[in-house]
Amino acid sequence: MVAILTKIFGTENLDFAEDVVQDSLIEAISQWQYKGVPDNPSAWLFRVAKNKALNIVNREKYKREYSKVATHFLQSEWTAEPALNDLFSEREIQDDQLRMMFTCCHPSLSSDSQIALILKTLCGFSTQEIAKAFFSTEENINKRLVRARRKIKAERISFEVPHGKDLEKRLNTVLESIYLLFNEGYSASIGADLIRYEICEEAIRLTEIISQHTAIQHQSNIFALLALMQLNASRFKARQDSNGNILTLEKQNRSFWNYSLMESGFSNLAKSSSSDSISIYHILASISAYHCSAADYTSTDWESILSLYDKLLQIDNSPIIMFNRAIALSKVRGADKAIAELEQIETVASIKSYHLFYSTKAEFYIELNQFSNAIKAIETAIELAPLQTEKLLLQEKLKFCRENIF
Amino acid sequence: MKDFLLILKTEGSVWTDLSPEQLQKHMEHGMAYIGNLMKEGKLKSASPVDKGSRIVTESNGIMKDGPFNESKEVIAGYFLIVAKDIDEAIEMAKANPIFKDIPTKIEVHPMMPVRGN
Repeated sequence: MVAILTKIFGTENLDFAEDVVQDSLIEAISQWQYKGVPDNPSAWLFRVAKNKALNIVNREKYKREYSKVATHFLQSEWTAEPALNDLFSEREIQDDQLRMMFTCCHPSLSSDSQIALILKTLCGFSTQEIAKAFFSTEENINKRLVRARRKIKAERISFEVPHGKDLEKRLNTVLESIYLLFNEGYSASIGADLIRYEICEEAIRLTEIISQHTAIQHQSNIFALLALMQLNASRFKARQDSNGNILTLEKQNRSFWNYSLMESGFSNLAKSSSSDSISIYHILASISAYHCSAADYTSTDWESILSLYDKLLQIDNSPIIMFNRAIALSKVRGADKAIAELEQIETVASIKSYHLFYSTKAEFYIELNQFSNAIKAIETAIELAPLQTEKLLLQEKLKFCRENIF
Repeated sequence: MKDFLLILKTEGSVWTDLSPEQLQKHMEHGMAYIGNLMKEGKLKSASPVDKGSRIVTESNGIMKDGPFNESKEVIAGYFLIVAKDIDEAIEMAKANPIFKDIPTKIEVHPMMPVRGN
């Protein structure tokens, strides 16, 4: 809804659009308390927001600079309502969300700001929810949003989908931000679980809008990203046991996987292979697909996964990919080879503070029956693990090692 | 494509001569008609005329402004539309649902485009 209103008011009045939505919601809540929820709540909300927008346009007709597309029709009694009706139509809503994505993901905004803006304006999250999801304070998130809006206003970032050569470049930024958004939701390190799953769903929804939009040539990396997120999200609910402990892929109950989501993931992966160009999303989605298609953990096709990681390293040889590759390597060539790989990246700062690095290393040592080394690694992992549930899991592993060492 | 100015003249006014129910219907039909023109990209602008029109005249070098005396005909509003030719503009004028609600005349004026030398 903020996306549509932004077309009316212009990006320089983004806060204005948010206020209208906020007001409409408040009105909805107070009305519905007395009169009950209407049959079609979203239509009701849209009507209220539309009227509020119309009132504001009327009241401040000449004071503010509105978005150029809409202003002119909004200022005549004969055309204002048809113009608003058109702005609120289904097709336009999709278009506006797409435009908003390009505005939120403008390269001159920091990725933190981009994500906060997407959640606030496109996904309708409250500041409080965003703070919760990012393990931050409302105040911080607010500051981030204010800064982003100021930048949009100052740099006059337009509310449109770029064309031609620009489109491809900007689209990549949008996809990157969405993938980042998805990972914020998916990564087990922070925040409340329910909200995090919603973030994943929103990332998927936004990508679907992009993939279905006629303004964008159907590019294979959009489908690859969609496939990647769907395949990963399909396993989301199996990642915790009933006590909230994080379960590794090995221990997950595969009957909790969401197979219909997984199926969409596979079909999008098939669509993504239509072109010759291979993006990072293609490879990551393929890796995820191998995990999803294995009937159980032991029948996972590690050979294929390892060769995909080799390809991935050619595009991006970051330590985190080397780390993930080491897991596949241990399955194919043995844990000792994998440990040697891990030792190559151990000095990198981002790896040094990553608890999963040490818990994985410990697993390799356990496999090799080197329990004293395993204990050392687990102790470091416990220190670094941000979640209580993860610490507990590691404590158990520690106990297991101590029992076996003698 | 060419611009055309449509001037709507009515006998009496929809605001005063129609019952509230009739006015409601009139508005709905009008909005649908205008909405369609907008969707087709054929409308540049349109507006009804408000109360309080004046007229400015000049005679023997003296400017005067006085009330705009309307006889039984009232200028209700204007449309600035884009059409292929005058025939299409006429068809668009004919489709205006206002004819059903109140005696109406619509003048269709072709607008002169910029002329290169």
